[in-house]
Amino acid sequence: MSVPNTATPPVDPALMREVAQHIVAALNLDLPAEDIDPDAPLYGEGLGLDSIDILEIALVLSKHYGLQLRSDDANNHVIFRSLRNLAAYVGEKRTR
Amino acid sequence: MNQAIRAALTARVAGIGVLGPGLADWVQARAILRGEQTYVAQPCVLPVPQILPPAERRRATAVIKLTLATGLEAVAAAGLKAAELATVFTSSGGDGRNCHEICAALASSDRLISPTRFHNSVHNAASGYWGIATGAMAPSAVLCAFDASFAAGLLEAMVQVAVTSAPVLLLAYDTDYPEPLHRVRPIPDSFGVALALSPTAGDLARLAVDPAAAFTAEPATRMDDAALEALRLAIPAARALPLLRALALGAPGGLVLDHLPGQQLALELSPC
Amino acid sequence: MSLALPPLRVARYTTTSCLGVGLVSHVEALREARSGLAPCRFDTVELPTWVGEVAGLEALRLPEQFADFDCRNNRLAELALQQDGYAEAVEEAMLRYGRERIGLFLGTSTSGILQTELAYRDRDAQGALPAGFHYANTHNTFSLAAYVRARFGLRGPVSITSSACSSSAKVFGTAQRMIAAGLVDCALVGGVDSLCLTTLYGFNSLELLSSAPCRPFDAARSGLSLGEAAAFALLERAPTQTTADAALLLGVGESSDAYHMSSPHPDGLGARLAMEQALRQAGLRPEDIDYINLHGTATPSNDAAEGRAVGALFGAGVACSSTKGAIGHTLGAAGGIEAVLSLLALREGLLPGSPGTAALDPAIAEVAPLDYLLSPRAGEPRRVLSNSFGFGGTNCSLVLARGDAR
Repeated sequence: MSVPNTATPPVDPALMREVAQHIVAALNLDLPAEDIDPDAPLYGEGLGLDSIDILEIALVLSKHYGLQLRSDDANNHVIFRSLRNLAAYVGEKRTR
Repeated sequence: MNQAIRAALTARVAGIGVLGPGLADWVQARAILRGEQTYVAQPCVLPVPQILPPAERRRATAVIKLTLATGLEAVAAAGLKAAELATVFTSSGGDGRNCHEICAALASSDRLISPTRFHNSVHNAASGYWGIATGAMAPSAVLCAFDASFAAGLLEAMVQVAVTSAPVLLLAYDTDYPEPLHRVRPIPDSFGVALALSPTAGDLARLAVDPAAAFTAEPATRMDDAALEALRLAIPAARALPLLRALALGAPGGLVLDHLPGQQLALELSPC
Repeated sequence: MSLALPPLRVARYTTTSCLGVGLVSHVEALREARSGLAPCRFDTVELPTWVGEVAGLEALRLPEQFADFDCRNNRLAELALQQDGYAEAVEEAMLRYGRERIGLFLGTSTSGILQTELAYRDRDAQGALPAGFHYANTHNTFSLAAYVRARFGLRGPVSITSSACSSSAKVFGTAQRMIAAGLVDCALVGGVDSLCLTTLYGFNSLELLSSAPCRPFDAARSGLSLGEAAAFALLERAPTQTTADAALLLGVGESSDAYHMSSPHPDGLGARLAMEQALRQAGLRPEDIDYINLHGTATPSNDAAEGRAVGALFGAGVACSSTKGAIGHTLGAAGGIEAVLSLLALREGLLPGSPGTAALDPAIAEVAPLDYLLSPRAGEPRRVLSNSFGFGGTNCSLVLARGDAR
C-alpha cells in the first residue's frame, strides 16, 4: 500500500480544513479548526491527543469518508503524524 | 448477637455540596431551604471541571461535571483531602444522553460507536473521573437502586463510616434523559448532592440509623414548598431534599427518606 | 474504633455460563480444560470475534407474575438461581433470619440494556420507542436486583454495584460491611451480565476484541472474548469453628487506580493495593496464598499490568491462571463467577488451567516469574485470591479459604 511518507505530501487545502473540523468536533477540542498546525504532531506533544483520541478520529473519518482506519495499522505512525499526513491519506483512500 | 454490633450507625455531616435546577450551591440551597430566599426553578448549569487534565476535561459528560462540582464543594466545606477519601457514588441509572447516542448508533446501519462514549458509558464513569481528578486511590463504591438510589447510597456510606471509622464522601446524582428515553424515564434535569460524612469531625448534624430498624412503612417526608416537592419527585437524587432541609434548619428529629415502596429509610438527626 | 469484619461462611453458591448450567458442569469443564467460547452468532452481530454464550436463554421464560422483568439478563439470573439448590437455600435463610435481615447485593454492568438496543431498532416514524418496552424492569441497572428481590420477596437492604468488571467482586465487600454493621445477618450476593450490542461493538471500537479465542497472559494475546454468566453466593457469619469442607470469605480489598478510564496503571499500582488490602483484612501474608485466579482479560495492557503487580507482591512461583479463555470476559459477572471457580478450586483440589494460552508471555515472565498454569493441576489449595479489575480503574480482590485455613 502506498502511504505518503514525505514530510509534506501534496494535499487539497479544503480537504485538510474539513478533516481538521472533524477532529475538533469529534474530540471537543477547545480551539478553532484553522488553528491546528498542519505539520505539528497529533499524538502526544502538539495537540496532546492520546490513544482514545486516535481511535475516535479513526471512527469519524471512517464513517465520513468510507475508508478503513485502525489504530494497529503499521503505517499509523506516518498517517497520524500530522494533520497534513492524515488529510493526504484520506484524500487517497476515500470512497465517498 | 453482640450488643456493640447492634449500636446505632452514626455519622457526622462535615460538608455539603449541591447543584440542581435553581440550586447553584449549598449556600444558596441552604438559604432557600431555610425559607430565607424564594426557590425559582431554573435549568441546572454544569461547570467545566478545570481540575481534570485537558483530555479528560474534553470528554467529561454531565454526570462527571455534576459529581466533580458537588463532591469538591462538600470536601472543601469539610476541610478534608479528596485524595484520601473513600467514596460512594450512587445514581438511578447513569448518563441518559450518552446511552441514547450509543443506542442510536447501534440501531444505525454501520453500528460503529464512539470509543469515548463507550468508555464513558460505564455506571462508574463519574467515579473513574473523580479518581483521575483528585488522585484518590481509596475504595469507591458505585451503586444503583433506581428511585431508591439516594437512600441506598446513604445507607452504604453510613455503614462504611461505622466499619472503617474514616470519613466517606457520598455523591448522589442524576442527569436528564433525552427522547425517546425521556418518555419512559422522564428525568427533566440534573441534580447532584454530596455529603462528606465523618465518624468524629463535622458540626452540621449527627445522623443515625438503627440497624435493627433501618426501614419503615411510614411514607417519605415531603417538602412543604410545592416547587421543591415537585423537584424531589422529578429527579431521584433530589429525594435527598428533606434531609438537606433538616440540615439547613438544624432541625433535630426523625426523618423518612424515600427508598422502595413500603420500605423507606428511617433516619434520626441530632445536633452535634 | 472501626468494626471488625468477621469471616463469612459461603453457605451456598452456584454459577451458570457458557460452560454449562450449575456447578457440576463447571467442575467437569475445569478438569477437561474445556473452553465454552465459540464464534459470535449473537443476535445480528457481525463482528469477527468469539463469545461465551449461554445456550437456551431465548426460550426461557420468567414466572408469569414477573413478566414485566423479562429480558435476557433476568432470564440468565433465573436460570442460575434454579441450580444447585440455591433458590431453596435462599428460602430457608428467609425462614431462619427473616426477609428483612437478608441483604441483596448484586453486580452487573449492562443489566438489560439489550432491550433498549432492540427497542431503538423498532422506533416508530416519530422516533418513539415501542409500546411494550419496559425501561425500569429491564434496562435499568437496578432491574437485576429488583427482579431477584421480587422473586423471593426480600425486604432487607438492597443495591446493585455497577463498577464495570469489578462489580460482582465488590458486592462481597458490601455484604461483609452490612453484616459487620448489624444491618443484616445474611446476604445474597453475586452478579449477572449478558451479551448485548453495547459491549460487543464498544470493545470493538476500542479495538480490544480478539478475533480468535482469547489467550490470557500469552505473548500472542490480542484482546478479549466477551461472555455472559450469572453467579450467586449466600453469605452469613462464620461459626467460630469450621471444618475443612466449609468455604470462607476471609478478606476483600478495594482500590482505585486514579489513572485512566480505559487503561490500567502500567505497573498495576491500584491492583496491588487491592490485593494487599485483601490480604491484610484476611490476616495473611502473600506466601499463604496457594492460587490466584487472575483478572487476565487477555488485552495486552491488562495482563502486563496485572503480571507486574502480582509478581511484585507475590514474588516468583505463585500458582495462578486466568479462566477467561474458558468463559470469556463476563464483565459485571466476572468477579462473581471467578469467586465461584476459586471456591471450586478449594473444594475439588483443582487449580484451573488457562484454555487458549500456549505459554506465559516471556515479557511478563521477565518481570514476574509466575507459575502460570497452562493446564489444570491437582493440588490442595487452602487459600486462594481472586482478582477483578475494571474500566475507570476500579479494583477488587477477594481472599477465599477452606474452613480449616483461617
